[in-house]
Amino acid sequence: MKNKLWIVLLPLLFVSCRGEKKMAQYSEVYQERPATIYIAPLVDHSERRAVRTIEDSLYNASVNIATKQLFLTASDPLVFNGYYVPGPLASAQLAATESRTVKQLRNENINDYYTELGIDAILFITVNKWSSTHNSWTVEVEYALRSARTGSEVMHAVVKATKMLHSDFKGKPKPLGADLDFAAKYGCDLETAQRCRLVETLNQFVLKDLPSGSRARPVSIERYVPTHAEYFNMQINPDGSVMVVPDDEEL
Amino acid sequence: MKPIIRTMLIMTLTAVIAGCSGQYKGMPREEVLSYQTNATYGGLHTLAVAYAESINAAIKEDTLHPGMYADYGVTLALMGHRDAACRMFNAEVRAFPESRGMVWRIKQHLLPDMMGDTLAISGDTADIGQLMSWAYDSLTALRPLPQVAPVVDSSDTAWLRKQTPVDSIPIEIRLTANQKRELLAEQQMAAEKARQAYADSVANAKQAKIDARKQAKVEKEKAKKLKEKEKAKANKQKKRLEKQKQKERKKQAAEKQKEQKRIAAEKQKQKEQEALDKQRRREQETAERKAQREQEAAEKKAQREQEAAQRKAQRQQKGGTEE
Repeated sequence: MKNKLWIVLLPLLFVSCRGEKKMAQYSEVYQERPATIYIAPLVDHSERRAVRTIEDSLYNASVNIATKQLFLTASDPLVFNGYYVPGPLASAQLAATESRTVKQLRNENINDYYTELGIDAILFITVNKWSSTHNSWTVEVEYALRSARTGSEVMHAVVKATKMLHSDFKGKPKPLGADLDFAAKYGCDLETAQRCRLVETLNQFVLKDLPSGSRARPVSIERYVPTHAEYFNMQINPDGSVMVVPDDEEL
Repeated sequence: MKPIIRTMLIMTLTAVIAGCSGQYKGMPREEVLSYQTNATYGGLHTLAVAYAESINAAIKEDTLHPGMYADYGVTLALMGHRDAACRMFNAEVRAFPESRGMVWRIKQHLLPDMMGDTLAISGDTADIGQLMSWAYDSLTALRPLPQVAPVVDSSDTAWLRKQTPVDSIPIEIRLTANQKRELLAEQQMAAEKARQAYADSVANAKQAKIDARKQAKVEKEKAKKLKEKEKAKANKQKKRLEKQKQKERKKQAAEKQKEQKRIAAEKQKQKEQEALDKQRRREQETAERKAQREQEAAEKKAQREQEAAQRKAQRQQKGGTEE
């Protein structure tokens, strides 16, 4: 009886801990598996507040740091999936040698990245908007992964991520321990820590499902598969759980 | 009871391991973020030290974050430690052969005179491939180091130079007194520069604010003038419209008057006609009445004459009989 229980429970446990695999969502990526991904300089279209009070400047500083954190943590899920991603300083140097703008890289021929630098794909991240309410932080980000070999777009996601803030029974904001730890570790205020953790979770969520095993990529496959942009909203609950809602539904 | 607790414990442990497998601590992110937010010479030095420590820790844990050597090389190159930077770039190419092109480009940018000391783009690929076969076999980027690394002696950092796959990693930058002085002077200079840059930026910002205010004033005045012009234009238009309306009103009034006059004249004519008709009718009536009266008088006269004749005849008859 005990053995049977083990047989039933263990696979269930592993399946539950592994998380969801989104083969359908990133099916185009599987056609062409890039091994080296270069993250292009982040494009920030979000607006900052006009500085009238000290709160405005604090908000702007917080958003600036979170945007930087968004760029820095984008490599984590990719690296964990087996891709070679140049570090932030090396990326900055590569960007310094590039004469084209990010917009041009997004739209024009980037085959030289493959032939000269050995980069298989470029990840473009665009921050469209930062917003906040009394109990949530929201960021709207667009991710696009473009193959340097074929020029095709192999992944495109437009995400609106909202972090719900924890509050006690009186409705007062109650910071989570993880947010406080982050604030202590980075020496920043709580709002910044919460925003940074929001973008980290967002990166993990969007980029975690890129195919793993870069060494097993079939180099011979060179197919142009256009990708349709996906639009979805995600909500990070105070307990850390993530809820995904298609764009046409309201959170 | 015991087997259940044991089972639960094992399950919890497995869940924790499975849950933690996604976490990875490689890059010194705090220092990178701090440096990117406020790039100073001191920050760069802190960053270099943090990278060195991270590489140390990564080697001890048999995991290596891709791009770590290259980033460390960039910090060293920016600090002026060109040889060490070159070695780090080569170490990156050795550990991650796919980074060759990128490292080549970065070296071209930062150390253009040291391009000869780079691993060949082609030729030694096969050797590197054999040497670093572990890199190819790994499915994750947490690549284990080759098993050639013997047990680590943690008391001294010299083991790094001997036993790591890289020839030598300047983990700790040992400085002489002169170098320290130079570094201090450099740091002070950098701080002075930063202070100056900050002061300049503040002054620039102030000037920009003043300029912006002036510009805003000029624009406001322009807008005011434009508004006034528009207002004047609108007034003119209004006046023109009013004049036109007045004209129209006058015209309408004149037409009305004309019409009234015409109607009055018509009425007068009608009245006159009616009076004439009345007079004619009266005259006719009086004439008719006169004629009637005359006829009646004539009839009466004839009747009287007849009666007188009858009476005469009667008298004559009476006289005859008496005779």
